[in-house]
Amino acid sequence: MSVSNLLENWSEFRHTHPVDDKGYPDWEAYPSDIKWAMAIDLDACTGCNACSVACYAENNLPVVGKEKYSHGQAMHWMRIERYWDENDSGFQADQGARFLPMMCQQCEAAPCETVCPVGATNHTEDGLNSQIYNRCIGSRYCSANCPYKVRYFNWYNYPEQENAWPAPLNQQLNPDLTVRTKGVMEKCTFCKQRTYTARNNAKTEGRPVQDSDVQTACQEACPTGAITFGNLHNPESQVAKQWQSQQVDLIKDVQEKDEKEGNRLRGYRILEELRPYPSVMYLERVRESAV
Amino acid sequence: MTENDFNRRDFLKVLGWGGAAVALSGCGNTSIQDGQETVTSYVTLPSFVVPSISNYFNSTCAQCDAGCNIMGRVREGRVLKAEGNPNSPINRGRMCGLGQSGVQAHYNPDRVREPLLRTGDKGETLTWDKALGLISEKLNGTKGAEIAFVTGGMSGHVQALLGNYMDALGSKNHFSYEAISPAVLRAANKKAYGMSMPRYRIDKAKVVVSFGADFLGAWISPVHFSQQYAQFRKGTRPEGRGVLVQIEPKMTLTGANADRWIAVRPGTEGVLALGIINVLGKAGISIPADIAAVSKEYTAERTSKETDVSAEQIEKLAALLKERTPSLVLAGSAAEGYAHGSQNAAAIALLNRVLGNVGKTVEASASVPFPQIAPTVGNRSSLNALNDGLAAGKYKVVFSYGVNPVFSAPASMKFKDNFAKADFKVAFAHYMDETALAADLILPLDSAMEDWATVVPEYMAAPEGAGSNAYAQMSFRQPMMEKVFPDTRGVGDILLALLKQRKADEYKPFDDFYSYLRNAVLKNKVALGGKAGDDDEVFWNETLSKGIVPFKGIAGSVSAKASAAGLKLPAAADADPSYPLRLIPAVSASMRDGRNANEPWLQESPDPLTTSVWDSWVEINPKTAAKLGIVEGDIVEIASRSGSIKTQAYLFPGIHPDAVSVPVGYGHDAMGRYARGVGANVFGMLDAVYDKETGELALNETSVKISKTGQRVIIVKEEGPAGGSQAGKQKIAVQVSADKVDLSKEV
Repeated sequence: MSVSNLLENWSEFRHTHPVDDKGYPDWEAYPSDIKWAMAIDLDACTGCNACSVACYAENNLPVVGKEKYSHGQAMHWMRIERYWDENDSGFQADQGARFLPMMCQQCEAAPCETVCPVGATNHTEDGLNSQIYNRCIGSRYCSANCPYKVRYFNWYNYPEQENAWPAPLNQQLNPDLTVRTKGVMEKCTFCKQRTYTARNNAKTEGRPVQDSDVQTACQEACPTGAITFGNLHNPESQVAKQWQSQQVDLIKDVQEKDEKEGNRLRGYRILEELRPYPSVMYLERVRESAV
Repeated sequence: MTENDFNRRDFLKVLGWGGAAVALSGCGNTSIQDGQETVTSYVTLPSFVVPSISNYFNSTCAQCDAGCNIMGRVREGRVLKAEGNPNSPINRGRMCGLGQSGVQAHYNPDRVREPLLRTGDKGETLTWDKALGLISEKLNGTKGAEIAFVTGGMSGHVQALLGNYMDALGSKNHFSYEAISPAVLRAANKKAYGMSMPRYRIDKAKVVVSFGADFLGAWISPVHFSQQYAQFRKGTRPEGRGVLVQIEPKMTLTGANADRWIAVRPGTEGVLALGIINVLGKAGISIPADIAAVSKEYTAERTSKETDVSAEQIEKLAALLKERTPSLVLAGSAAEGYAHGSQNAAAIALLNRVLGNVGKTVEASASVPFPQIAPTVGNRSSLNALNDGLAAGKYKVVFSYGVNPVFSAPASMKFKDNFAKADFKVAFAHYMDETALAADLILPLDSAMEDWATVVPEYMAAPEGAGSNAYAQMSFRQPMMEKVFPDTRGVGDILLALLKQRKADEYKPFDDFYSYLRNAVLKNKVALGGKAGDDDEVFWNETLSKGIVPFKGIAGSVSAKASAAGLKLPAAADADPSYPLRLIPAVSASMRDGRNANEPWLQESPDPLTTSVWDSWVEINPKTAAKLGIVEGDIVEIASRSGSIKTQAYLFPGIHPDAVSVPVGYGHDAMGRYARGVGANVFGMLDAVYDKETGELALNETSVKISKTGQRVIIVKEEGPAGGSQAGKQKIAVQVSADKVDLSKEV
C-alpha cells in the first residue's frame, strides 16, 4: 500500500463524508436522508445476552467452541461486557455488576475505514460502516485500528472445514445474508439485510422510512426494550428524539452539556474523545444511593 | 448457501413440499417418502408463499415453562428464527436467548431420529408399528397400579390426552417432575395470599425487595418480568424510577441489576425479613399483633448478628420501605432451598402484608375453568414418590416424557438403579439423554416447531385493564415446517395411537392429534371466545393465526391474611468444621436444569456474571479463596457428604464468604456433541435434605469442603485480563447516582 493510495482513499472518503471548514462532518452536504443510529439505555439493560443470541440467529455467526473461544476468536458481533465498581479497596459488588452491550459503533469517521488497503471497509450513504466480504483480503488492519475491538476475523473456514453448522443445523442459516469464509473480516452491520428491506419497501410506497419499518435483531429481542434504533435524520424517530433530549450531537467530539456545571443528562458516547463520531449513544446506568 | 454442504435436492424438497404441508395441515404422520403427499411445484404455490419473502407463524416457545408467545419466521419452507409475538401479554414481542435457541433444538443434529429398542447392551432400530405394538404387548396383563408416567409440568390438550390414557390404563401414577421448580413458593403463596401464583406487579412498585428471586434470569416468567422491570426503571413513570434491592448469598442476574445487593448468610433470609418488620414497627408502621409477637425478638442487632447484614443497612432498607409505597417483596429460590424454606418464604410474605402491598403489587390471577387443560405443575417431591415406588418394585412399565431424572436426581436417591428395576421403560425422547439411555424403548419426538400442542401457562400474565383477575389464555403451538427427520412423531400423536390400542372406537374419528385438537377446540368454541354461529373453519384459522386464545377464567382474589402463626425460624447452625462451606447450585438463565445444554448458542453465550463459556466453574469469594490459597483457574475438588465434583475456581465478588456456587445443567455424559463432557453435574452431589413442609429437595442445604487438586487451567471466558476493571478513567460503562440525574423528562 502506497502513500498515494492512502491519500486517494482518504479523499474518496471525505468526498462521501463532507466536512465543514472546521473539520467537522458537514450535514448539509450529506448525501442521504438516512443516518442509522442507536441508543442503548444501560439502566434498562440487564445483561441477559438475549441480544447476543438473537444476533447469532440473524447474522449466521458461527459457534467456534471452547478452544477457539480461548484464543479470542469468538465471532459475537454483539457482546456483553461486564464490569465491577471500583474503589480503593478493590472490587465492590454491592451495587451489582455493570453491563455494556458492545458492537460496531458505526463511526462516522471510522478509524477502520482509512486503513483498509483495498477499500473493503467503507462508508455507506446511510451512515453505516460497511464490510465488503469479497473485497477483503484479510490484512486485519481495520481490526487493529478499531478502538472498540468489535471486528471479528474468520481465522477458519467455519462452514466447511470447521463444520460449524452440521446438518441439519445449516437449515437455520438466514438466506438474506452470506456465510463468511476463511480470511475475511466481519462485524455488526446494524442488520443491513433488514434496513435495506425497509428502505426498499418505503421507496416502493413512496414515503420516508419510519421507526415501525425496521428493528435490528438485538433490538427486537431485548426483553427490556433497552435498545432503540432508527433514522437520526428523521426528527420524528425515537432515536433522534433521544439523542436530542440528551443533547448528544453526532458531529461533536466534546458535548456542550459535559462542559457545563450541573449536567443532569445521562447520554454519552464511548471514546468520543478519539473523534470517531460513533453512531451509538449510551444512557448511563442509574443507581439509588439512599439504600 | 453454496458454501455449505447443503444438499440441493433436499433443499428443493423443502421448498416445494414444506410450504404445501404447512398450508394443508402441517401435521399428520404421512411423510413425503411414503408418496402420500402431493408435490406442489413453484408454479402453484399457496398464495401466501412468495420465494424470498418470510411468513410468520404464531406459536408458543417450548424452551421453558413460561410459555412465551412467539412467531416463527418461515421462508421457503424452513423456519429460520423465532421472534416474540407483540400481542402476547406474557412476553409482549420480546424473547430471551434461551427461547431464541429453540431453532437449534429443532435442527439439532443429535436428535433421535427413529424408534430404538435396547436389549442388554445392544440397540436396534424398529418401525413405529413394532414399537407401539411392543408397548401394547408389555402392557397386556400389567395392572394399572404397576404403570407409571413421569413428565415435566404439563398443560393443554396433550395433558388431556395423557389423562385419558392414564384413565384407560387404570393408572393414577402420573408424576409431574421439575428439577428446578418454585414448589415451595407455590405452597407459601397459597397460605399467604390464598393462591399459589398471584400476579406480581413489579411495574407498579416503587421499591422491589427480592429475597433471591431471579426474576430477570430464571424465575417463573423472566421475559414477562423483564418487561415489567423496564417499566419499573423508567423515571417518567408516575411513581418515578423504582429501586431494586436484592438479598441473596450468591449474586444472580437480578442481583447484578440491583441498586443494592445484600449478601445475606445462606438460610437466614426469613430472619432478615422479620428483622425488617421489627424495625418498621419501631419506625411507626403498625404491625398486626400475631406478626409482632414473632418479630419482636428480632431486633436490628440480633438480626444483624444472625444474617451478617449490618444493622445500619437494615435500618436504611426499612426507612426506604416506609417512605416509598407501594413496594413489592418477593421470595425466590435462594431463600427457599432449605429445610426451613417454607418458613423463610412465609416470613418474607409477611412483609407484603405489613407494607400493605397485597392487592396493590400482588394481584389476583384467574384460575382455569377447564381442569383437563389447566396446568399441572411439577416439583421434586413427586420424583421422590416415583423413586420410592421404583425402589419397592411397584412399577413394571414406566414412561418418561420431557424430563431427565437420571441426570437431575441427587446420587443419594439411586434413581438410575431404581429406574432399572422396572421391567420396561419407555422414553419419549428428543435427544439420547441420560434417561433415554437408561430406557428400553426410545420413541423419537417431533420438535416443538414440528408439533401441535396447546399451552396454558401457570403464571397468567394479563393485559392491563379491568377484568385482569379473570383473564386466562391458551396458546397454540403449531408446526412451522415439514419434519426435519421423517420418522419422528408428535407426543400427541403417540398418545393418540396408544389410546387407540385401548379404546379404538372412542378415538376412531381422529386420524391424528391435529384432528383431535381441532375437534376439541371447536367443540368449546364459545368458551374460547368464539360465537356459537361462527363458521368453524374461520374460527379455527383465525384462532390459529393469532396463536393466543384468551378466555374467561374464574376470577380470583388475593387475601392479605398472611399469618405468623406457627412461624419458627431456626437459629443459623454453626458450620460443620469438616464441611465448612455452603453449596449453592446456581440456575442460570440459559442453562436452567440442563435440558437445553445441547444447543451450541447457549454453550457459547457467556454466563452474564462470570462471562465463562463451555464449562462449569465454582464461584468463590476472594476472601475465602485467599484463606484456602486458591487462585483463579485452580481445579478444585468440591466434596459433600453425598458426592464430589471437580471444576475450575472463579474468584467472584458477588458471593457470601460462607458459600460457594456451581451452576446446574452442565456435566452431561450423554445428550449430544455440544453437551457431553462439558463441565460437571452438581445435581449428583446434593445432600438429601428436604423442606419440612412441602417435601421439596432443599437445594441449598448441602455443605461442602474444597481442596486444590494441583491442576490449573486458564478459564475460557469473555472477560479480559483486567477482570472487571475499566482501565483508566475513560467513560465506558458509566454509572450515575440517582440524585445526580433528571429522568423525568426523558423520551
